[in-house]
Amino acid sequence: MTYQISFRNEGEMPDLPVSSGTTLYNTTGTWRYVRPVYRNKTSPCNVACPAGEDIAQYLGLVAKGKYQEARLRILEENPFPGVCGRVCPHPCESECNRAELGGSISIHMVERFLADLAGGAPVQRLPSNAPAGATVAIVGSGPAGLSCAYQLARRGYPVTVFEAWDDLGGTMRLGIPAYRLPRHVLDAEIAAIARLGVEMCTGRRLGDNLSTADLRAFSAVFLAVGQQKSRALEVAGEDAQGVVAGLDFLRRVNLGMPVEVGARVAVVGGGNTAMDAARAALRLGAQTVTVLYRRSRYEMPAIAEEVQEAQDEGICFEFLTTPVRVLTEDGAIRGLQCVRMQLGAPDGTGRRRPEPLAGSEYTLNVDVLIPALGQEADLAFLEHWAGGGLAQTLSMANGLLETDAAAQSSQTGIFVGGDSATGFGTVAHAVGSGKRAALAIDRYLHGEDLNGFPALDQHVHAAPRDLDPAVVRFADLNLAYFEELPRPEPKQRPAIERKRDFAEVTDGLDEQQVQQEAHRCFSCGTCNGCDTCWLYCPDVSISRVDHSDYQVNYDYCKGCGICAQECPRRAIVMEEELKWKK
Amino acid sequence: MEKVIMGNHAVSFGVQLARVQVIAAYPITPQTQIVEMLSELCADGRLAAKFIKVESEHSVMAAVVGASIAGARAFTATSSHGLALMHEVLHWAAGGRLPIVAANVNRTLGPGWNVWTEQTDSLAQRDTGWMQLYCETNQEALDLVLLAYRVAEKVLLPVMLVLDAFFLSHTMEPVDVPEQALVDRFLPSFEPQYKLQPGEPCSFYGLVTPEYYMELRHKMHLAMQSALAEITAAGNEFGRLFGRYYGLLEPYRLEDADVVLVTSGSITGTSRVVVDEWRARGHKVGLLKMRVFRPFPFAAVRQALAHAKKVAVLDRDISQGLGGIWASETKGALYGVAEPPVVFPFIIGLGGRDVTPESIHKVLDYTVAHDAPEDDTVWMEVKR
Amino acid sequence: MIEVRIHGRGGQGAVIASEVLADAVFRAGSYVQSFPAFGVERRGAPVAAFLRFDDQPVRLRCQVYHPDHVMVLDPSLMQVVDVTAGLKDGGWILINSEQPPASFALPSQFRTATVDASAIAIRHRLGPQTAPIVNTAILGAFAYVTGLVKLDMLEVAVRETVPIKPDSNVAAMREAFGAVQCEGKAQP
Repeated sequence: MTYQISFRNEGEMPDLPVSSGTTLYNTTGTWRYVRPVYRNKTSPCNVACPAGEDIAQYLGLVAKGKYQEARLRILEENPFPGVCGRVCPHPCESECNRAELGGSISIHMVERFLADLAGGAPVQRLPSNAPAGATVAIVGSGPAGLSCAYQLARRGYPVTVFEAWDDLGGTMRLGIPAYRLPRHVLDAEIAAIARLGVEMCTGRRLGDNLSTADLRAFSAVFLAVGQQKSRALEVAGEDAQGVVAGLDFLRRVNLGMPVEVGARVAVVGGGNTAMDAARAALRLGAQTVTVLYRRSRYEMPAIAEEVQEAQDEGICFEFLTTPVRVLTEDGAIRGLQCVRMQLGAPDGTGRRRPEPLAGSEYTLNVDVLIPALGQEADLAFLEHWAGGGLAQTLSMANGLLETDAAAQSSQTGIFVGGDSATGFGTVAHAVGSGKRAALAIDRYLHGEDLNGFPALDQHVHAAPRDLDPAVVRFADLNLAYFEELPRPEPKQRPAIERKRDFAEVTDGLDEQQVQQEAHRCFSCGTCNGCDTCWLYCPDVSISRVDHSDYQVNYDYCKGCGICAQECPRRAIVMEEELKWKK
Repeated sequence: MEKVIMGNHAVSFGVQLARVQVIAAYPITPQTQIVEMLSELCADGRLAAKFIKVESEHSVMAAVVGASIAGARAFTATSSHGLALMHEVLHWAAGGRLPIVAANVNRTLGPGWNVWTEQTDSLAQRDTGWMQLYCETNQEALDLVLLAYRVAEKVLLPVMLVLDAFFLSHTMEPVDVPEQALVDRFLPSFEPQYKLQPGEPCSFYGLVTPEYYMELRHKMHLAMQSALAEITAAGNEFGRLFGRYYGLLEPYRLEDADVVLVTSGSITGTSRVVVDEWRARGHKVGLLKMRVFRPFPFAAVRQALAHAKKVAVLDRDISQGLGGIWASETKGALYGVAEPPVVFPFIIGLGGRDVTPESIHKVLDYTVAHDAPEDDTVWMEVKR
Repeated sequence: MIEVRIHGRGGQGAVIASEVLADAVFRAGSYVQSFPAFGVERRGAPVAAFLRFDDQPVRLRCQVYHPDHVMVLDPSLMQVVDVTAGLKDGGWILINSEQPPASFALPSQFRTATVDASAIAIRHRLGPQTAPIVNTAILGAFAYVTGLVKLDMLEVAVRETVPIKPDSNVAAMREAFGAVQCEGKAQP
């Protein structure tokens, strides 16, 4: 392909060293044996999000100032960004690669910022897809039930939601106090779902005034009844007056019913329900609130921030202790006998098993005791299930309703999800579970095969993006492009002030901080139009349109791989040319 | 229109009138006001040019080279250490045959750290392939910007326009700022034969083997040689249009002079005053002002000095181990002349030391009093 | 050729004064040259500016060593700088001061004049009270004392050259023209 240019004398030569014609003739692409291909990979945050949000993508939109687009991208997957932006334990942030270089991205705060934007566009309906006459009943208006209702209603299905209580929202309303989740936020997001045409029937309890026969009238049913039964303390005297289960206590508080807390409150347990109960009791006027937990702080399942906030508000923690007896007087509690614990060998959950320390009993004076030791599904309705015209009752597994990857129960047409089927216990997991059921029901009602859903420990997407499943980890990134930048922390109301009321504790981030977070995001695996490939290509064979839509001109790309090597976020792969020649 | 302006702004006006399209700059005293004014002209739209701020003078020249390859009329200004930092890219501009104009405000190189005038910074760039024009007045600074582009675009070599720190750069005096329409006649827009175009890319400045490198340099040499005639022609054309003629040299009372001062830059004005005083006293003293250092006008210098008996060359520069650079070139010009004049090489006014009429009187006193210089160079007004 | 030297402190406007004066003289038909003392200037430090004008083009390109007249923008400089250095006999020394000229006891071959330019500048709100910009006021006094430039020409130059508050500057200049204390010259 080369030929020698000969000049007979200097007069034939140009004045400067310049090619005699355009260099376009030299199609260096013929040298190539590997070719760069733009292929977005999966970010750790996306993998970790139980609700299946495309975090990498919406953070990129935020960085470009496209807030409404970012918000709508979340709403594709999750109708509760305002709720999740506040109460989610954000497993995405635990996986975030930024943790290694200044602290993980405050993803939940960006989500909350987007959810709280004024003047947001309404949730987007999809082109109606529902077969004629198909109807769906959903039992339970918690995050799973409403997520399912939302996804189906968007697709044009007539959906009826049955809720046992008089208010919608399930645990979001009955379990989570307003200082963590202001009610106007929850109300607005539920209202947006209702506006899609979902029929909301409150005060209808399955097995009570809602029968299996009623459900048979629908083409498909989704059961998402949640976990509303508190586990018992299993010590003597726990039926005394002044002992109230954590969930019951929170439900009364959250529904605005009168609650007597007395001066000294003890809460038993180390989860979020225990934290919520303790902090709610403080806000209702208790003088001392003590949390008793049988392991140490490090084993507490509650969100770490919640524990810190509770401590800041003056809640006492007694670790490595457990109650052994409720002391009563005239049928009412007067104290609690406890014993100190020590940690032994790890148990099945990997946590070290607490064991009583002999001779360490002591007594605590208590006016109200709130056990919050975990919860389980209240499945009393199953006793009447088969009698309602259905052939058999639903199968159980590990105390939960049995389900497969397509959210199907043991009976065709009956789908199950949320905490009563998965037991995960977070809003985000319930949202993902409800979405999984909706997608499955959509297929089921079209008579399609239900195989092919991701396994239950993976997440489903309503609007999946074409992503290579390979996850980009910290070591994969090109760190030459990133500097250490700190994570902004939101402002909180002073503890002395906030512990007196139920107004929200934590402020959102302002726009500048949100921009900072979006720009701190590595955009792991997702091209964000940084132009690095375009700048580095030594053959000028990458073109672009407006910092995106990069195209490789393979006539000239000689496959040097510099673009893939430099890509800060590994959104380019080099593939063997032979594969493409076939 | 006549305005009272400083030398730096005279250059800026020249650049504006030349309709320069790209300016890249990095600030350095005493040049800063040139690009400061240009940045304002660009910002408020009076000059339709792209102003590029970069992080060093090396990048400045690289940016200007890039702009020029793309066919833009490009300009920068610098001084002293800034020019030194540009050195490598100066070769690229010249070897690339790019008609760039750069103003250099003469400033002493450190250490001793010093912001005052001295010509060593520009003269040290003599082998880079740039033409060099030296100014005596603010008017000349403005006019020579226009002349520089005209010649540069004709012979395809860059031009360095040189003016003294403070004595010109910061000194205000009346300057005639010509009409744009007239300037446009003198300096029409320029379309290069080769230019970088994205749609039709060419490879610029690639490998040239020994087989052809020498021919490239020979062509550059021929272009530099041809610039002597082009400068003369352009200077005459300028004079016809604007009434101010510029040649390679400027003789002052040179006819029948036995003793000739050879000067460049701002020393010239003060020397003219002294020549007048010596003439008034009946001495046959004259002056030869050097305007063009590269290409060095050997033939013209030889002709101008052939009949003198003594030539005193004032060098506000020093090439250590050689002496005065202008003196060296002047001696070279006189080589082979039958009965050549005796050259007195004076080093004077380094580091911005003031050259007063008294200094020039001393130079002439020395030259008249001696048959030949007592040393290879004569250092004036040194505290020994 | 007339040569003038202006002494001031960095920030007082000595360089602008020389430029305004140059502009005014140029408008009146003379050739001019004005320049600062070359160097590194700092606010508050003694600075100087120079002016040459002539009916022939000014060819000299060196500093002024034998001025015809001297202006002093800050009286405290009298203790720091020899403002009479090189001054030609009969030359004016115009000082910004509220004191009478005799109080400076300068050699008798020179003519001394004073004007309270600071007070005038403050009255016209030129610069901060602690460091008034006195250059335009002292030019008005210079016009009166030397007669080398017409007040109307100065006014045009001020309006053309001074970046802010042209009216106040012109007013200060005119006030100073009529507020000079000097020996051997009648009050206007």
